[in-house]
Order: sequence, then structure tokens, then C-alpha cells
Amino acid sequence: MRRAPAWSVALWGGVAVIAGLVLTPFWFVVTGSIKAPQEIIARVPTVIPESFTLQHYDKLLAASDYAGYLVNSLIVATASTALTLALAIPAGYAFFRLQFRGRGALYRTILLAYAFPSIVVLVPLFAMFARVGLVDTRAALVLVNAAFALPFAIWMLRAFFAQIPPEIEEAARLDGGPPLTVLRRILLPLIAPGIGAVAIFAFVTAWTEYVFASVLILSDARRPLPVGFAGIIGQYQVDWGLLLAGASLAILPVVLLFAAIGRWFVAGLTEGAVK
Amino acid sequence: MRRQGTLALVLLAPALALLAAVLAWPLLAGLHLSLRDARIVGTTGEFVGLANYAAVLGDHEFWRSARLSLIWVAANAALQTVLALAAALILHQRWRGVSVARTWIVLSWIVPTVVVVMIWRWLFSTSGGVVNPALMGLGLTDAPVGFFARPETAFATLVFINSWRWFPFIALMMLAGLSRIPADLYEAARVDGAGPWRRFTRITWPLLAPTLTVLLVIGTLLSFNVFDVIWLMTSGGPAGGTRTLPVLIYETAFRGYRISEAATIAVLSTVLLMAFAVFATSRLALAGEAR
Amino acid sequence: MSEVELAAIAKSFGETEVIPPLDLRVPDGEFCVFVGPSGCGKSTLLRMIAGLEEPSAGQVRIGGRDVTREDPSDRGLAMVFQSYALYPHMTVAQNMEFGLEMAGMPREARRAEVEKAARLLKLDRFLDRKPRALSGGQRQRVAIGRAIVRQPGVFLFDEPLSNLDAELRVEMRLELARIHRQVGATMIYVTHDQVEAMTMADRIVVLREGRIEQQGPPERLYADPDTLFVAGFLGAPRMNLTPCAVTGCEGGRALVDVPALGITGLAVPLRDPAAPPPRSAILGLRPEAFAPAGQGRAATLKAEVVENTGAARYLYTATDRAIALVAEIPRGQSIGTGETLEVGVAAEDCLLFASEGPRL
Repeated sequence: MRRAPAWSVALWGGVAVIAGLVLTPFWFVVTGSIKAPQEIIARVPTVIPESFTLQHYDKLLAASDYAGYLVNSLIVATASTALTLALAIPAGYAFFRLQFRGRGALYRTILLAYAFPSIVVLVPLFAMFARVGLVDTRAALVLVNAAFALPFAIWMLRAFFAQIPPEIEEAARLDGGPPLTVLRRILLPLIAPGIGAVAIFAFVTAWTEYVFASVLILSDARRPLPVGFAGIIGQYQVDWGLLLAGASLAILPVVLLFAAIGRWFVAGLTEGAVK
Repeated sequence: MRRQGTLALVLLAPALALLAAVLAWPLLAGLHLSLRDARIVGTTGEFVGLANYAAVLGDHEFWRSARLSLIWVAANAALQTVLALAAALILHQRWRGVSVARTWIVLSWIVPTVVVVMIWRWLFSTSGGVVNPALMGLGLTDAPVGFFARPETAFATLVFINSWRWFPFIALMMLAGLSRIPADLYEAARVDGAGPWRRFTRITWPLLAPTLTVLLVIGTLLSFNVFDVIWLMTSGGPAGGTRTLPVLIYETAFRGYRISEAATIAVLSTVLLMAFAVFATSRLALAGEAR
Repeated sequence: MSEVELAAIAKSFGETEVIPPLDLRVPDGEFCVFVGPSGCGKSTLLRMIAGLEEPSAGQVRIGGRDVTREDPSDRGLAMVFQSYALYPHMTVAQNMEFGLEMAGMPREARRAEVEKAARLLKLDRFLDRKPRALSGGQRQRVAIGRAIVRQPGVFLFDEPLSNLDAELRVEMRLELARIHRQVGATMIYVTHDQVEAMTMADRIVVLREGRIEQQGPPERLYADPDTLFVAGFLGAPRMNLTPCAVTGCEGGRALVDVPALGITGLAVPLRDPAAPPPRSAILGLRPEAFAPAGQGRAATLKAEVVENTGAARYLYTATDRAIALVAEIPRGQSIGTGETLEVGVAAEDCLLFASEGPRL
């Protein structure tokens, strides 16, 4: 099928604008991180780097525990994702399949929690965690991140469950599978794309979280990347090269993650989600 | 029926326990704090009744922040929705590379907020950076513009940055809505002689409208809660020009150590937001029934 | 022994009564077809037998055992769904095996059962494929195989052929008949397609608005329907049903005037000679039941449309009016649009119905 030329121009123009909007900043950051200091602060920024150096990376890794922050972030984000899935899958199934009193009201309440102003619970939560000895632990971050990802995760998974034809589950019941076996052997494999999408959502939520980590983590050794990097920014105000290198390294893990399973996220979202 | 109830309880209990511990309980604790006079995190102070509420509601800082939050929400909703809709419509077309684009459009959403802030602070920087040299190169300005030097420009720039971060995610949700519109409707319209514009106004728009409304509500709630971008970028400044309610809560609690007052503002914000959410969802439900 | 018995079974969804209390007995080994238009309750009935739907009242008994409160898997039955409901992420073998695994059968024994069923269904070559790599007919076979391996006493079929194309439908019909002969189990089959009902059933149960309209062997339902509804539902093209006036009674026959045929005083046999027929009634005559010209009473049909199905040709009169008739054109006779056909009408081939439905 051929498009009208004007339509084509409009389409590709739109593609260019959106791509430019999303990608340009990243281009300047990543290329900036390998430019020599003089080129970085040049009056006219160069689109293609004219110099090449790894000095910013060397300095970054030597001056701070950047690798430690990265590892902390990976641990926290992975554990948060696992916890979110472990809680959201049974809950999503219960909301989708089981009949019980108060189902609708409970579901709406949980959805409301999605819109909950997180900053509101910061102070009381800190006090509470202090009492039970969770302040300055990565476990605290895992709990918080999972709680904030949970409402959306349940909402999405419910939509995915709802797309499984009821006959498949009925056939499994006739085949004699107990509910949890049916869930594990039949339903979960069928919503694998949805689980992938939810997992990515949970990972990203935890990976990008800053506020709670900045308050709940006190010792440098347990800081996740956002907090650690914020500290570096505070310390090296205008050492743009170092900061750009840090930014590039912070982008790298999620980019790798997305290169591996990013397609699932989009496919998962477009298959289920918004209802 | 009975058995299902028990099973449901078993399956829901862990999730509910976490939400209760991390969201509901602290919220109640916050309510409790707001009726007391606590000055140090972890203490409860004396019972002071509604004194904190009287103080907060009488403080013009609170009303200024409330106004800023309102503008913040409206501006973000508008910019995000427009950007997201444009992106979603483009990603809904078929062109070379569209599947790659669908994956990578969320790049700005998957990067830590701190990094987003750092990136834009550098791009908007007055020494070096990219935006100022570009503006000067185009002859739009003679000297570097201090984007974060004046309240109005700082606010606008933050709206842009926040929308830049969130629009791809919203675009994907819209794309999900778009892909649920049956393709044969477009084919039928094409056969009926409708051009791209007609197809958009007569098919896409009406069928996407419910999704858009839901996303608008979600987007509103999400942008109200945005704290980290603002805090990391401007800390609510300059001159309080970007101090929205979440920023005010944080400042009051962790800079002013007026814990109870912070809890009071938090309670008021929650009430405000929940009222909006309940209103919006009930309106949505009504609109759904009308259809 | 797997006789299926429904005792005063009823189903309501909220205020709506879908199935008023109903009794039915399907003897062991019978191929029983539930047929009726959509919304007649046939699928609900089947799902209540399967245990997928809880009856509002009454009992389901299988092999003499009350299973009303039992789980579907404990009822000793298997079901084939319209959408096949194959597990998309499992191979053909795994699909067929799943129920056996759930029943705790050891792996080796499962394999043997699956292979046996696969041979019966000519699926041997596809055991390692996923359902999406199969054609519609093959998927249908897998669904049947999944039912067979469990060696249930009762097979339930919910419109299993309606997603197949016409040719495959015929093929699968024969195959199901063959399987029924080989496994000898009780089979209950739901369809809205009267051809499937006619060709496969030992017994047809015609349902309408949740009630049994008539049940019996296909031949009897076809030749001797109890009601206008059954007469109209079975047979394609459907039976001519045209208004007529009863002018009198004579020796167990009603004398009727049939405006559509231009016949007066046709002496149609009555089922119950003792009951006096009403003044106006409906005359039923199957399209293939017109006699050659010269036999019975003479009538003239003007062809407005001629339809050729290959095997037979049909003539339609007055297609736009209620008195339209359809008749099979005798072999060797050629009729064009607008031409007329001389036919005979034998009173013995005609059926008489009250306009409210019951046979007279």
C-alpha cells in the first residue's frame, strides 16, 4: 500500500521530531562523556566528538564507589521485581478469577493506592522503619519499591488474566488440575509477556527511585545508584566530564536490560493493560 | 463460593499486608502526627488538636504551593498528553523501524531520575551545555539564558523535563488503546473514501477517548506526586517558584523539622488528591454507563 | 455404566430463568444431540452436566451417582470445546497428557495412552508440534484426543465443528461417528446445526427457551414432529409452513383449504382424530415431499427464484410474501425463472399444526 507523498513527509517528520526529542539528550551525554574537558565546555558543542578520552570514567571509578552503587541498585531492583511479582501474580489472579465479598471495593481501593502521593508516607514510614530496625537496609528499599509498583502490577496482571479464553481454564479444570496447578502450569505460561512487562515496570520503578532511598539509606556503602550519583553531583558540581561519565554508566544497565527484553514490555503492554 | 473466599484471602493476604504496612499504616500514622506537635522524626509530641490544620490553612506558603501544584498538574497533563498522543499515533503507523522505535521510545522513562536531572541541567547549563549555544547559534539570544534563575522559566523548564520523562510511557499506554481499535474499521473507512484526517477524527479519536480519559486521570495523579525531579533540580527554588506541595512537605519535615506540620500538609494533599481520584473515577464510571 | 440423568435440573442467572426445571435421561452408550437456536439453553445444560455451571436446583447423575456437587474432573467425563481450548504453550502430546498427569498416571503409561489415541486420530506425526502449527481440523482432532485418552464414560461436545469449513465438517462428522462406535461411550453433543444433529444422533433433543420441545430418533423427529418449531427447525430447506382454513372433519381427517397452493378440501390425516381441529391452522409440507404431477391433488408453482445446490434444485415462489413456498424440482425437469411447475400434493405427506405450535 502506498501513502500519499504529503502523508509520508508528515509521518517521517513526526518520527524525526520524536526521535530527536528522545535521543538527542542521550547522544550529547554519551558522546560528552568521552570528550576531552575543553571540548565539553566548548562554546559551540560538537555533535560528533572530536576528541576521545576515558579519563572521566577513570576518575569517576577512582573517586567514588560507583561500582558499589551500581551493585546495590541491581540488588535492590532485582529483589523488588521478584517481590512485586510474587505478590502481584496471586493477587491479580484472585481479582480476576475468584468470587468473594468486597472484591470490587478492594480492587478500587488498591487502584487508588496507585495514585497515592508517596511523599506523604515518607516521614511516618521512616519512623516506623526506625522502630523495627529497617532504616539503612536494602530490605527497606525493596519493601517500599514493591509497595509502590504493586497496584499497577496487579492492575496489569488482572487485565492479562482476563484475556485468557475461559475455555482454556475450563478445559484444565476438566483435566483435573487444582486451582494453583492450573495457575502455574496453564495460566502463567500464557501470560508470560504480561509478566515480563510487569517485571520491567517493577524493575524500572525500583531502578529510578530516589526519594525514599535518599532518606532511608544512611551509609554510603548501601546507597543505590541514584542516591550515590546525587552525592557525586553535589561533590563535583561542574566537573561535567565526570558527571556525564556517571550518567552514561547509569544508563547502561537498563539499556542492556531493554535490549534483551524490551520488546516484551511493549508487546505486553499493547496486549493487555489499559481497560 | 466459601472455598473461593478462603483461597482469595490466601492469595491476596501477602500483597495486602505489604500495602497496609508501607502505605496504609504510615498514612494513619501521618494522620495521628498531624494532630500532635512533633519536631523530631520518631517522636510524637503533645496532642494539639486541629492547631496544625489552622496553622497550615492560615499560612500563605501552603496556598502558594497548592496553586503551584495545580498549575504543575495542568501544565504537565497538557504537555504530556499532546506529546504522547503524537508519539502514539506515529508508533501506530507502519514504517521501517517502527518496532525498534516502540521499544526504545521509553528510554527517558527507564533512566534514573537523578540522571535525567543531571542530563538536563547540563543541557540547559549557562556554561557550555547544548541548549544555550544552540539558541545563540540561531541568533535567538545574545547571552546564555539562565533557565533556572527565574521562577517562571524554572517552572516551565521543569514541566518540560518532567513531561519529557513521562510522555513515552503514556504514549505506550495510548498505543495499547490504539491497537485495540479493529483494523477493519480503518479499512471500511478507507473504502468509504475517508482520508487520514477523517479517519482520525471519526474513528481513532472517538474510540480512543475512553483510554485518553483514563490516562489523563492517571497522568494527573502521577504528576501531582512528582517530587524528585523538582527537588533535585531546583529544591523548590528560586524563591519558592517551584515549591509544589510534595516539595513543601519534604522541606517542612526535613529542613524545618516541623514534622507535625508536614504531616498536616500531607494529609491535606491526600484528601485533595483522593477527592479528585474518586470524583474522576465516578465520573468515568458514569460516562461508561452512559455509553 | 455411564448413563446421564438430569432430574428437575434448573438454572437461573439472577432473575432470569434460563432453564426451567427439566428432566432428561441419556442411556449408556447413546449419541445424544442437543439442538436448538442460540440462546435455547443447550450449552448451559451441557455445562451443568460438565460441572462448569452450578445448577440452581435439581440433580445431575452420572452412572447412577449424584455428581451435582462434584468437581468437573471427578465426574468421569471429558469435554471438547468449540474453540478447542488447547493449551497453546504445550505440544500436542503434552496437551493430551495433561489430564492423565493430573490423575497421577505414571509417565510411561501416559505415553502409551497418548500414542494409542494419536494413532486412532491419525495424529502420530504431530505429537511434538504446538497447536498453532496445526490446521483447524488437526486442532479439533487434538481436542478430541485429549478427551479420548482419559477414557471417560461420557464425552461432552460443545459445538465442536462450528469453526471448521464445510468439507472438514463432513469429514469430522464421520470420524466422530466412527469414534463413537469404537469407544462406545455416552456422548452428548451440542449444536445449532440441524444437519449435524440429523446425521450423527441416536437421539435428538430439540430445545427451545430452556425446555425440551421434542426428543427422539432423528427419523421420527423429521417425519413426525410434535410441534411447528421442530418441523421448522429440522430439514433444509425448511418445511413449507403455510396458513390454511379447516372447513370440516371426515373420518379422522381434516378438510383444509390451502390458499398458497390453490387447493381446497385437502383431506389431511389428524394425529388425534377425536380432537376437533380449530378453524384456521398451519399446513406443513417438506420441499421434497411434493409429488410428481398427476399424483394427489394438482397444484401449480411459479418459479420466482431457482436455486441449484448441485445435488438438487429448488424452486421458490413469492419470495417476498408470507405464503412463499419452496419445492424440490424433480430430476430431469428444467425450470427457469418465471416458468411454472406442475406438481402433485399428497394429503398423506402433509402435516397440520395449530397456529400456537402443537401438532394436530
